[in-house]
Amino acid sequence: MATYQEFIQQNEDRDGVRFSWNFWPSSRLEATRLVVPISCLFTPLKERPDLPPVQYEPVLCSRANCKAVLNPLCQVDFRAKIWACNFCFQRNPFPPSYAGISEVNQPAELMPQFSTIEYIVQRGPPAPLIFLYVVDTCLEEEDLQALKESLQMSLSLLPPNALVGLITFGRMVQVHELSCEGIAKSYVFRGTKDLSSKQIQEMLGLTKPGAPGQQGRPMAPQDAAASCRFLQPVHKVDMNLTDLLGELQRDPWPVPQGKRPLRSTGVALSVAVGLLEGAFPNTGARVMLFVGGPPTQGPGMVVGDELKTPIRSWHDIQKDNARHLKKATKYYEALANRSAANGHSIDIYACALDQTGLLEMKCLSNLTGGHIVMGDSFNTSLFKQTFQRVFSKDYNGDFRMAFGGILEVKTSRELKVCGTIGPCVSLNSKGSCVSENEMGVGGTNQWKVCSLNPSTTLGIYFEVVNQHNAPIPQGGRGAIQFVTQYQHSNTQRRIRVTTIARNWADAQTQIQHIESSFDQEAAAVLMARLGVFRAESEEGPDVLRWLDRQLIRLCQKFGQFNKDDPTSFKLSESLSLYPQFMFHLRRSPFLQVFNNSPDESSYYRHHFVRQDLTQSLIMVQPILYSYSFYGPPEPVLLDSSSILPDRILLMDTFFQLVIYHGETIAQWRKAGYQEMAEYENFKQLLQAPLDDAQEILQTRFPMPRYIDTEHGGSQARFLLSKVNPSQTHNNLYGWGQETGAPILTDDVSLQVFMDHLKKLAVSSSA
Amino acid sequence: PAYRQGPSAHTESSPSRDLYGQPSYQQCPQPFPNLSQLSAALGGLSGVPELEVEALRPVNLLQERNLLPPRPLEAPEPNLSPDLKKVNCSPQTFRCTLSSIPHTQALLNKARLPLGLLLHPFRDLQQLPVITSNTIVRCRSCRTYINPFVTFLDQRRWKCNLCYRVNDVPDEFMYNPVTRSYGEPHKRPEVQNATVEFIASSDYMLRPPQPAVYLFVLDVSHNAVEAGYLKYFCESLLENLDKLPGDTRTRVGFLTFDSTIHFYNLQEGLSQPQMLVVSDIDDIFIPSHDSLMVNLKESKELVKDLLTSLPRMFSQSRETHSALGPALQAAFKLMVPTGGRVSVFQTQLPTRGAGTLQSREDPNQRSSKKGVQHLGPATDFYKKLALDCSGQQIGVDLFLLSSQYADLASLACMSKYSAGSIFYYPSFHCIHNPAELEKFQKDLERYLTRKIGFEAVMRIRCTKGLSIHTFHGNFFVRSTDLLSLANVNPDSAFAVQMSIDDSLADSSLACFQAALLYTSSKGKRRIRVHTLCLPVVNQLSEVYAGADVQAITCLLANMAIDRSISSSLLDARDALVNAVVDLVSAYKSNVSNLQQSGLVLPAAMRLFPLYILALLKQKALRTGTSTRLDERVFAMCEFKTQPLQQLTRMVHPDLYRLDNMSDQGALHLNDTVVPQPHLVHLSAERLSRDGAFLMDCGNVFYLWIGKCCNEMFIRDVLGCPNYASVPPNMSHIPELETHLSERVRAFLDWLQDNRAFSSSIHVVKDDASAKATFFQNLVEDRSDSASSYYEFLQHIQLQMAK
Ligand SMILES: [Zn+2]
Ligand SMILES: [Zn+2]
Repeated sequence: MATYQEFIQQNEDRDGVRFSWNFWPSSRLEATRLVVPISCLFTPLKERPDLPPVQYEPVLCSRANCKAVLNPLCQVDFRAKIWACNFCFQRNPFPPSYAGISEVNQPAELMPQFSTIEYIVQRGPPAPLIFLYVVDTCLEEEDLQALKESLQMSLSLLPPNALVGLITFGRMVQVHELSCEGIAKSYVFRGTKDLSSKQIQEMLGLTKPGAPGQQGRPMAPQDAAASCRFLQPVHKVDMNLTDLLGELQRDPWPVPQGKRPLRSTGVALSVAVGLLEGAFPNTGARVMLFVGGPPTQGPGMVVGDELKTPIRSWHDIQKDNARHLKKATKYYEALANRSAANGHSIDIYACALDQTGLLEMKCLSNLTGGHIVMGDSFNTSLFKQTFQRVFSKDYNGDFRMAFGGILEVKTSRELKVCGTIGPCVSLNSKGSCVSENEMGVGGTNQWKVCSLNPSTTLGIYFEVVNQHNAPIPQGGRGAIQFVTQYQHSNTQRRIRVTTIARNWADAQTQIQHIESSFDQEAAAVLMARLGVFRAESEEGPDVLRWLDRQLIRLCQKFGQFNKDDPTSFKLSESLSLYPQFMFHLRRSPFLQVFNNSPDESSYYRHHFVRQDLTQSLIMVQPILYSYSFYGPPEPVLLDSSSILPDRILLMDTFFQLVIYHGETIAQWRKAGYQEMAEYENFKQLLQAPLDDAQEILQTRFPMPRYIDTEHGGSQARFLLSKVNPSQTHNNLYGWGQETGAPILTDDVSLQVFMDHLKKLAVSSSA
Repeated sequence: PAYRQGPSAHTESSPSRDLYGQPSYQQCPQPFPNLSQLSAALGGLSGVPELEVEALRPVNLLQERNLLPPRPLEAPEPNLSPDLKKVNCSPQTFRCTLSSIPHTQALLNKARLPLGLLLHPFRDLQQLPVITSNTIVRCRSCRTYINPFVTFLDQRRWKCNLCYRVNDVPDEFMYNPVTRSYGEPHKRPEVQNATVEFIASSDYMLRPPQPAVYLFVLDVSHNAVEAGYLKYFCESLLENLDKLPGDTRTRVGFLTFDSTIHFYNLQEGLSQPQMLVVSDIDDIFIPSHDSLMVNLKESKELVKDLLTSLPRMFSQSRETHSALGPALQAAFKLMVPTGGRVSVFQTQLPTRGAGTLQSREDPNQRSSKKGVQHLGPATDFYKKLALDCSGQQIGVDLFLLSSQYADLASLACMSKYSAGSIFYYPSFHCIHNPAELEKFQKDLERYLTRKIGFEAVMRIRCTKGLSIHTFHGNFFVRSTDLLSLANVNPDSAFAVQMSIDDSLADSSLACFQAALLYTSSKGKRRIRVHTLCLPVVNQLSEVYAGADVQAITCLLANMAIDRSISSSLLDARDALVNAVVDLVSAYKSNVSNLQQSGLVLPAAMRLFPLYILALLKQKALRTGTSTRLDERVFAMCEFKTQPLQQLTRMVHPDLYRLDNMSDQGALHLNDTVVPQPHLVHLSAERLSRDGAFLMDCGNVFYLWIGKCCNEMFIRDVLGCPNYASVPPNMSHIPELETHLSERVRAFLDWLQDNRAFSSSIHVVKDDASAKATFFQNLVEDRSDSASSYYEFLQHIQLQMAK
């Protein structure tokens, strides 16, 4: 048998799934005692170049409330042409087309290597991809120019038959008609007026009669789509749209001194959502919002136009002093839910030096699977390249984006699904496998993920319902099936089915099995998602306390120690890194808000709850590489002791790439040794981290902020705030002259944290 | 009984001219009292001028059949000294119903004639003295502008002719810029001309003068597209773009609307116009800043682009609704910052948003004799909007091109109260009705290129003792003697009813002064001043001698229109009949001691009953004849704003026989011989089947061709071989190089000459259905629903007996 490491890796590669536990305790009680729930990180559309899709419909279990998909775990009677559902035990005849199957002629979905399989299915006419640009025109000239160029460039990246639309806004909201010739035509909405979807559609003429004599009747969606002058195939309008974008002017309304421009983001989005709702319900579409500042008027307003009133800070929010917060959030949530219901996702590209209202607007992207990209200006490579990367293509030349995803989770009887955490909304499907106990978005076994890409990853939480004294379930394995229906970027409808099984274990007798099946990386990320999910609704300290308690309980459960003797405390290898992850998580911007603006917190959390395991771990515990003359580059502890004068450090926090030149290196660089032929090796040393950074910059979405700094540099704070403060001004002198850099912080160090943890874990009173 | 006559009698009379080249009123061979009898009748008046004597000649209407003068009536000349006559205001500009003012209200009451002014203050003038001086000399007490009728007590002092205050002559006035001489203040142009224009100083401005600003509001609904006006509007505007009155500051804008409102961004620098659709018609707003009303010079290419594209843009429109009200609200918002002119083109009932109207016309009631409903507005929306516009110096002109009922009674309010103009094309269709299209095109050309004044006010002052009590026309009354005219155009006229509060006995003259302060299209503040001087008289006979029957009829028509809206149409009609009864009675009891039987009126007023009958048969006031409500209302609007000559022809058209015109008495104008055929009474019995008759109705000509009309006329004038080949709906006179064609065209051109809007011409064959309209205008004849002239006179007589 392979090691757990290998097993986990294999499973992740094949099924896009990482479970917290790979042996499952067989009773409800034992499961709760494990602290970390049975849960997984699931990447529904994980790239599988090796997996060609099959071109037929999946075979479903005939039991009405089951409908599980035929899979390798099913018992098959080849003679009788009958298969037994492994979820409900229903015996199902194979459909006539399977008449020829036998032990040696098995359909793909029965083969173990096809535990994940993708079907191409026929569901109505192919739907084109839809891109609706919603563009803020209250930008500085330079920013607007850069944005216009990016948008124009993007037209060449879209598939020619994709539909594209343009809404611009400032004080007013303009929906541009793209089909007209000779004269540019747009529909204008007042930026202050909250309109219903029906009103918007009426005002856009989407409910107009098709022919005289049939006045006032709403069109059938198909007609509406056909006559929707606002969304047109790229190949037909790209010239027109390029010109239109070229002529786009800054919002013409004067902005008086001391005022913010009036920016009607709320109405603009409402119009965008209303337009798509009317013309293309239940068709994959992407609303791409580009903003250069906060909404300042109308519904969804985040801050007033008086410059002397700053936008809300965490401080204001804590003191319940953020006037528009609740109303705006509610407004955007309603929009996000409507949009999600129709399968339309919303991206936010916010580029400004100050906050733009992401806190209030985040739900637009979080609930619809849209992207959030945050930058200082549209005229930065961060924005430009990130935006380009939205349209990146896979090995088949298809866009790495899918639309209108519906994820359904089926479980075998001993399990129920509690919920998911990720860029999705509930479809309120209350099947028999839905738990009462909600974790994340629960109460359902179906979720809508309006937009997906190969790295979109959901955290899915389960509970064991088997009672303590019930026997270990039949077959000794529990099974879960993930069924993901979606619209592929090539407009095909597809269904991907992943069926997994794990062994049940008796926690009384097989606790070591269970312990060694612990995937501490997955567990850390899954617990972190729970923490972040709580942080959205609870006060920060409560969340930290909850996380600490879970950690202590886990240590108590699995640690080996003598009561009340912290020094005796030990954790097995499968759990050894877990406390350290929790230490960094506690310090991370996902849970610590006061060094960040509310927008930044929202931004970080947005990305945290959708990235795959590797990226998520980087976010929790940034990676630090050290470059020196003493050997090849090596990963080093994320610790202040790693900051040495003769080292160059490369830190990847996911959001930032920091290259830090130690004191000596910085001096050498300043002196220009790298220019001298005899110091070629120094030049190479300087170059090495740049090359490595470049590699990360090439692929990461969103493109990280790139920071080149050095000892004493003002930007060095990015590094200093991440490393474990093993040497701080509190302990520096106490420990005498050590190597490493002291950190000016009141944070506890990992050492202090661990000491404290051990003390609590071994305490008999805990 | 005796009131019949052979059809050819009138052609025998020949014109006779008096010494001054004025046509005389002597024509008929009817017996009339000799001069000595007349003198007795006048109560021993001596020194009565000859004309006045003629004016007072009693005419027995029941006996005298040929009342019409050979040529259209001219205004009576006031009985003034030659010096004053020479400088007096032109009657085309300023006319009083009584060219001799009774000295007391009592005398006026006794005369049973209305006192009022008819004014055409901004009409196009061939010559206008324009005065630029540092001081505009005005009476310190009543602010009257110095005028030819003031008195210079000496070189340093002048006495106001309205309030009699003695004022100083300013130093500047001692120099005459025309003669370049000093010390002759009475020779200054201000004192030499009854019509002058001053360039005003900043004292006459509340704000810097506005630029010329034009906003066009265009119906582009399905209905409008069907009618097809848009293409012709755009063509016309394109053609006249450089002739729009204005300067480098001129601004233009466009709004189109169906069920939504469309704005056009024409900001200089754009590669093409941008259309901005606002669908939120219940809460209309301006969708862009500063780019919807643009400088014409800077954005001319974009404007041209737009005008070229517009007709095509809506050619497929299926939008049947009309959000006129919201479009007007939008127009108001666009125009508020500057003021200016809004030109609205509408083709149907507004059906969306504010100002929505319902059809109120019952087609079965079109020929009712019981009176007419719905002459007033259905909503105050358009009036309120117009008042708002007026307050912001925005004038709204309406072009209604609708073959269906569009509730003009309501729509017209947008122009009535904002000093706008109303144009109506009741059966407009660009293909099916070429004549109306041509009229629309010609009207549009005039409309676009005619002079315009902005942010104007007009004040009317009159000699102490006289006062104004009612204005008629399109305006907003700001105070008792002050009208607000957001726009003033050269084609609109006004009427004013006056009363005599205090005796005028102290003075032999009464004066009226109309001062129109406006901003020219070139951004200059100007004041146009007209002063009219009339004698004051204390004898009733003198009042009658000076009575201006056309002015009186026009003023009465205005009053009747008001009455038909405020009270009822039947009331208004009764009042008109009573005006005749009263006059005849008053004349009989007070002046005429001839004890004649029958209906006697002084010659000056002999056409009064005929005119009143014609008025009662006019579209605006008639009953019993099928009349579409909008056409009636439009006729009413016309009465309130058309200049007197035009109105007179609308009430009582001029009829001429053309097939036997001679050059006798013809005018010779630059190489062109313009024949002057005589007027023919408006009666079928005066027509003859072998003739061709031209009826001049003011805004339209009818050329009636008799069945047996001589073929030479048909060939030489119409260019057709014979009667049968004259096409129906012929609407122009070909330019043929025949003697007769030249004469006919010369005459037609001459008739057109002083007319602002060219009149269309319809050739009417005796057998064509179009002749109904022609015959309706033969007002002396009985129709299905109305009496003949003779019956009317009998009716008057009957009423007097009561
Ligand atoms: Zn089943
Ligand atoms: Zn005076």
